Amino acid sequence: MKQKNGFKMLDTGVTYVLLIAVAFIFFFPCLWIILASLSKSGSIYSFDGFFPRSYSLATFKKLFTDTTMYNYPKWFLNTLMVATGSCILGTFLTILTAYTMSRFEFKARKPMMKITMVLGMFPSFMGMTAVYLLMTQFGLINHLWGLILIYAAGAPMGYLTQKGFFDTIPKAIDEAAKIDGATNLQIFTKINLPLAKPMIVYTALTSFTWPWSDFILPKLLLKEKNLYTVAVGLMSLDETEFARFAAGSVFIALPIVVLYFCLVRNMVNGIAAGAVKG
Amino acid sequence: MKKKWIAAVLAATVALTATACGGADTDTTDNTAKKGGTGAAVFNGQLEENVTIRVLENDTAIEKGYFKELIDAFNEEYKDKGIQAVDANMDQYLDLANDGPYGYGPDVLYQANDIIMKYADGKHILPLPAEEFDCFEQIPDTAWNAFHATVDGTEYTCGIPVNVQAPMLYYRKDLLPADWESAWDEDKDSVPDMIQSWSKMYDYSVARHEANKKQYGYMKSLNDMYFSSGFLFSYGGYIFGNNNTDPSEIGFAAGEAEKGAQVLSQLASAMNEDCIDDTITTNAYSKLADGSYFATISTPDVYSTFLDELTKAYEEQEGLSEWDAAKKAEENLVMTALPQLPSSGDLTDKNAEQIVSKCMGGVNGYAVSSYTKAPNACLEFVKFATSYDMVKRRAHMLGIAPARGDVAKEVGGTSEEIFKNLDAGNIILMPSISAIAQIWTPGQTFFIDLAQDVYRADNEKKYKDLASMKAGLEDMCKQINEAITTLQ
Repeated sequence: MKQKNGFKMLDTGVTYVLLIAVAFIFFFPCLWIILASLSKSGSIYSFDGFFPRSYSLATFKKLFTDTTMYNYPKWFLNTLMVATGSCILGTFLTILTAYTMSRFEFKARKPMMKITMVLGMFPSFMGMTAVYLLMTQFGLINHLWGLILIYAAGAPMGYLTQKGFFDTIPKAIDEAAKIDGATNLQIFTKINLPLAKPMIVYTALTSFTWPWSDFILPKLLLKEKNLYTVAVGLMSLDETEFARFAAGSVFIALPIVVLYFCLVRNMVNGIAAGAVKG
Repeated sequence: MKKKWIAAVLAATVALTATACGGADTDTTDNTAKKGGTGAAVFNGQLEENVTIRVLENDTAIEKGYFKELIDAFNEEYKDKGIQAVDANMDQYLDLANDGPYGYGPDVLYQANDIIMKYADGKHILPLPAEEFDCFEQIPDTAWNAFHATVDGTEYTCGIPVNVQAPMLYYRKDLLPADWESAWDEDKDSVPDMIQSWSKMYDYSVARHEANKKQYGYMKSLNDMYFSSGFLFSYGGYIFGNNNTDPSEIGFAAGEAEKGAQVLSQLASAMNEDCIDDTITTNAYSKLADGSYFATISTPDVYSTFLDELTKAYEEQEGLSEWDAAKKAEENLVMTALPQLPSSGDLTDKNAEQIVSKCMGGVNGYAVSSYTKAPNACLEFVKFATSYDMVKRRAHMLGIAPARGDVAKEVGGTSEEIFKNLDAGNIILMPSISAIAQIWTPGQTFFIDLAQDVYRADNEKKYKDLASMKAGLEDMCKQINEAITTLQ
């Protein structure tokens, strides 16, 4: 018995050590960039080994006040606008697509599913030249709306996860509602949509984070510095602006973290609520 | 319908410039007589009214407030004519070839001569009527030639020179040894010997590092072809034949260029392994400021960056106020011409005759995009920006070396020195032909290998004598030639 307890303790101990080691490996770069953003000298070359010699909040102040060359607040607002717009529009389209594919039987359903699956296998940057040419013809270069439209239009391509979720909601509920006289729209909005809350939250979160951190598309479509998103703006910083780069990188992570902690509760609640109703 | 019209106008502009500026057989000229060339037909002198022209300036000019002064002054002058200049608000390393045709490029751009001539080669730039500019007689032929292109025997000028870019030596006066006047000024001319001679700079670098292992004397990344090739030029090397117009002849190994490679190798031995890659180029600002490095070389346009870093360092290290720190930084940061080299190519040879250092340089200037809808207004802007007053203001605010002789004389100091060096042929301007794009990678590979060699074990060294360095340079020329011929 004692031997068994000892083995269990050893097992737990080793597991904890491994978990702490893995957590440290992943956490260390985050810690490093946070500390680097607080560097007083602002230069990576003045570090004492891995970490800055002295700390200050001056870089964060500079990030938001010194906007002559690098207008971070504007980049931040641009990113927020693109991400929020893409999130709302993209989530709406993805959920509609997934629900349609899950609930309705029509002739082109299977071929469409196959085509979207195959198309989804190609990396998005393959079509960049075509996207650029199309956007020039639509006059959407140097417009944040152009970005939102592309992100939102591309979002339904990843509808399979959402479809899988809708498939798990029994169709018997829909049939019962139909017998009670509910229309398709009512069934969708009053029955399936509330049940799909966790999936909506998940879709919204992913639709938000992708444009938030994307670099290639904004770099391609936004030529004016005032329209840059944070990812493009940070890449345009001069080589002597390391501390500003670090501070900008830290600050850009904040909304995602906040959003995650706010929405993760809804995801869990949604799942629980769905389980009771189901 | 509107798009069709725009397409027609663009096509006409491109067709006009195609016959005028650059082409597959574009060649820079070597005429000693001053020739301005013909401007594009679109420059008919009729100013377009109520137009906004987008101007792309370099980041330093924007950061230091010069650009705002420039456009404010221009807009005030031309407000009656309804012409307004605005910041193009684009990255200074934009791609006019891709963005211009769709109308997303700037109307006027300020770039280095190799970039402007690359655009000229692709007909993205309008040829300018150089004789109409008041700076025409004030700018030396060498600078004009950097923007010249000849097509079917007709000569065209595709940019207006504004400032000369050439490597300069940066050092800190307060890091000189306390006894420099007695120990490091043999000729008693009140100028430290290490600033006048690379041999003495080498001696001082060795001495400084021996006294404190964390400190160095002269430091510079060797992999940078732009800065390193000057050492080859000083001993007879050159870029292309026929005054940099014939890419079939590559001259980095010509003359006694291997002596320049030997000098670089000796200098690298007094540095550390950071000289192999870009590390020193990037950290020179902060390392010069914190006293780790005594000297480095860079271009004049980054003077203000060095100054800002040193000011910040004085504030932090000595607790000075911002004003006092800035004043002290201005007193101690010196930008001067490159030291002289020993004719023997050996920095330890104390009896060698000293020769002038040559260097690779460039000329930055204004050009007008082929895709502009208001070429005449753009031309007026370029005339305004290259006028005596504006170039003088630019030189004062940014510390650049003006291409205009009258302004260089007025500003004096380093600016005049660079101007004289350009006129004397000690600054070899980057050739304005497309083959120039092929020299950087093979050159970088050789210089990295040369720098690495210093840190190899004796039995693994590749460059043990001048003959092996010559062979290395010849190999580099061969690689450049292959790159050029492959891409033809």
